[in-house]
Amino acid sequence: MDTNETRTSPSRAATKRRPLAVLALLSAAALALSACGGSTGGAAAGQSARDGAPVQGGTFVFAEVTPINNFQTQAARFYEKANVLNSVLDRLTYFDAEKGQLVPWIASKFTASEDQTKFTFTIRPGVTFSDGTPLDAAAVQANLDALGKGIESAKIQPNVDFSAYKSSQVIGGDQVEVTLSSPDANFLRATSSVTAGLVSPKTLTLDNAGQSAIAKISGSGPFAFESEKADEEVVLAKRADYAWAPEGAPNQGAAYLDKVVVKYLPEVAHRAGAVQTGQVDLVRGLQPADETTLAGSGNQVLPAKGIDLTSNMAAVRIGNGKLADAKVRQALQLGIDRQSLKDTVLSDSYELAGSILNREAPDFVDLSAELAYNPDKSKSLLEEAGWVPGADGIRAKDGQKLEVTVTSSNNSVVIKPAFELIEQQWREIGVKLVNRAADNTFLATAMKDPNVEFFGTRQFVYGGLGPVFGPATNTQTLNADQQLNALFAAERAATSSAKHKELVSDEQRALVVDQALALVLWDEVQVYGANAKAHVDFTSGTAPIFQGAWKNSK
Amino acid sequence: MGLYVARRLGQALLVIWLAYTLVFLAVQLLPSDPVTIFLSTDAAADQATVDAMKAQYGYDQPLLVQYFSQLGQLLRGDVGYSLASGQSVATRIGAVAGSTLALASSAFVAAVVLAVALVAAAVLTRSNLLKRLITNLPPLFAAVPVFWLGLVLLQLLSIQLGVMSLFPDGSFASLAVPVLVLALYVSAPMAQVLLKSITHVYEQPFIDVLRAKGASPAWIFYRHALKNAAGPAMTIAGITVGTLLAGSVITETVFARSGLGSVVLQAVTVQDVPLVQGLVLLTASAFVAVNLIVDLLYPLLDPRILKSSAAGSPRALTA
Repeated sequence: MDTNETRTSPSRAATKRRPLAVLALLSAAALALSACGGSTGGAAAGQSARDGAPVQGGTFVFAEVTPINNFQTQAARFYEKANVLNSVLDRLTYFDAEKGQLVPWIASKFTASEDQTKFTFTIRPGVTFSDGTPLDAAAVQANLDALGKGIESAKIQPNVDFSAYKSSQVIGGDQVEVTLSSPDANFLRATSSVTAGLVSPKTLTLDNAGQSAIAKISGSGPFAFESEKADEEVVLAKRADYAWAPEGAPNQGAAYLDKVVVKYLPEVAHRAGAVQTGQVDLVRGLQPADETTLAGSGNQVLPAKGIDLTSNMAAVRIGNGKLADAKVRQALQLGIDRQSLKDTVLSDSYELAGSILNREAPDFVDLSAELAYNPDKSKSLLEEAGWVPGADGIRAKDGQKLEVTVTSSNNSVVIKPAFELIEQQWREIGVKLVNRAADNTFLATAMKDPNVEFFGTRQFVYGGLGPVFGPATNTQTLNADQQLNALFAAERAATSSAKHKELVSDEQRALVVDQALALVLWDEVQVYGANAKAHVDFTSGTAPIFQGAWKNSK
Repeated sequence: MGLYVARRLGQALLVIWLAYTLVFLAVQLLPSDPVTIFLSTDAAADQATVDAMKAQYGYDQPLLVQYFSQLGQLLRGDVGYSLASGQSVATRIGAVAGSTLALASSAFVAAVVLAVALVAAAVLTRSNLLKRLITNLPPLFAAVPVFWLGLVLLQLLSIQLGVMSLFPDGSFASLAVPVLVLALYVSAPMAQVLLKSITHVYEQPFIDVLRAKGASPAWIFYRHALKNAAGPAMTIAGITVGTLLAGSVITETVFARSGLGSVVLQAVTVQDVPLVQGLVLLTASAFVAVNLIVDLLYPLLDPRILKSSAAGSPRALTA
């Protein structure tokens, strides 16, 4: 795997973050100065605490966006779940964004056969689940079976990233060998996902309600469930005996924090205030408008990059025929002025998409030159496809107007204003966009409705782009494209990393440029707000790493 | 009295059954089925999984079979499973119902006290200006959106002044402020109706007689006018159960409280049909129960009701 590109990324992230940290430090120093009447002692102490050794102990309050009450592992494809489970469940492997590669975690060693159908994991000794059960090869095998085949008795589906899974067996006492029914070069990466989190074999025997309840899920993670108040909070307590962090993690031992309290703050207007008043240490889902205020008040704005996800996109459904012609889709792709999106509805925390993959994801290719805003080209492509402007400026063909609809969940704080701007931009090229973004009730049916042309979304790509865009039932395109599927299959069967990179590059080009099935907008990022005392990093899936987090004592 | 109670009870059960049947039919009109909707939130589900799950929940049965088997389960006290959480509907609702009950009942009591206090102040004050001011308060309460007031109060009390938490932390303020927000909204119609009917009572000759006999204004208000005017206000109070629940949805979201309101919101958003059915049933039952209580209290307030109850709704008398 070529890591040059990704190796530069963390430093880029660091320089981006540094001005805020410096600003925070300056304001803290200014406060301290005014408080101590000229003595610089306070400021110096603040500095050493910030850069010095992590502080042990304390309770960390994290405000999530909406309450969630189904924590079943396989379905952790929502941030609300993954952000909690990330601290409760360990995985076989860990994606180290700094190195741009997978590193050992519960699997101290992992290997793949050349044809990508057999994988061997050596299980680290001495790991236990919070219920006392050892996390050994047998436990891993039970988990892999559950992920690959689902759990019929508990009505749990297989994990979509494990679709090629056939069987696994324990060999030599501490090894598990997995056999796939077809090659999958993305299989190892899929084992790093929170959705592939390892649970105690006892948890796997519970019924659906049991496996969905955070109180009953037992993992080997740095934190274990302590208490909950339905829809209000989940309290996690640290495991003092935790000693199996991913390789290279800054903290190799037990968490510094004693407790993490997850609360819910559905009201977006209060998120910055919650941090400013010190009621929470960390909040997810900060609005762009609040970023400057929060940073200016001596607190931190922390953009967590979604390297494990696709970029934010309007995925295209071609079911009702209006967008069946690739030229129309290309015209819409070129009819989006991304820079003005960034300037008006996003912030410096957001990077514009250069492809369907995140800029720092392995095998990303930069297609931004081919996505450049070009309304004239858009218009001529639409003319070529036979769509001509009507009296009201909206194009029509065979008596049908080029009126298209977008659906999305309300989970992203910027998606609705983004589509409002795109609505204006597309008007210029004679296309009417009906903006139903952030309307969750509409989404419930529109998600499966091929007549709703666009689905505003971003998806985890642990299993590669194939599971996201391949199956006939995929929620992005609601369509199985044979040509694309052949490409996905070839990519999964790639036997060298060079070949794999080349095929992933072809996939990106097909999805974004040639077929234009994904109108890409900005790289996925989750913008967190944190108070000045908090120190927290994030996984490549944007989950806070509470195991390494700590708080200044004052 | 026995016949009267039996009639009201029978009507109450009929309303609950109708509500249940209506929801069942409404669900059938949805463009998709609950299982497909539920599974589609977790990436792609294959048809076999969808079918297996439909069979598990009985959604593959003919409509009439589904209706009667669900009704049968219901009569045995089984309200089914919430698709989104895997828990039984009863467990899911039971876990948060207490929180809503605390909020709604406190808000209800506060609303009644507020409505009576406002009306008493309006009637008893000697200042015409004050009277006009107070009379205009209930329309104001009705006009101020619950979410707006909640947001403004939280912004002020929690973020600017730091005297309360954004989260329900068990403190007095964390219950009192949402209760106040909800109570203001709920008290508006009660105060308006009470004021109107009490004005009507004050026009009656017996008030003049009481005054002539030297009764104090307060005595007249509390011992005579209020009792005579309470009927219509009580009817409105019974109807506010619906308003209370609707208000709870908003209040609970704004104040990050758990409760039926937030469960309704989640259930509707993800179209968790069994949960929605359970919630409708619960709401209908609560609504019917409260109105039943109001109906049963009526004869105590006004014995004329029983004499004419055969002639239809007792409330027609006081309207």
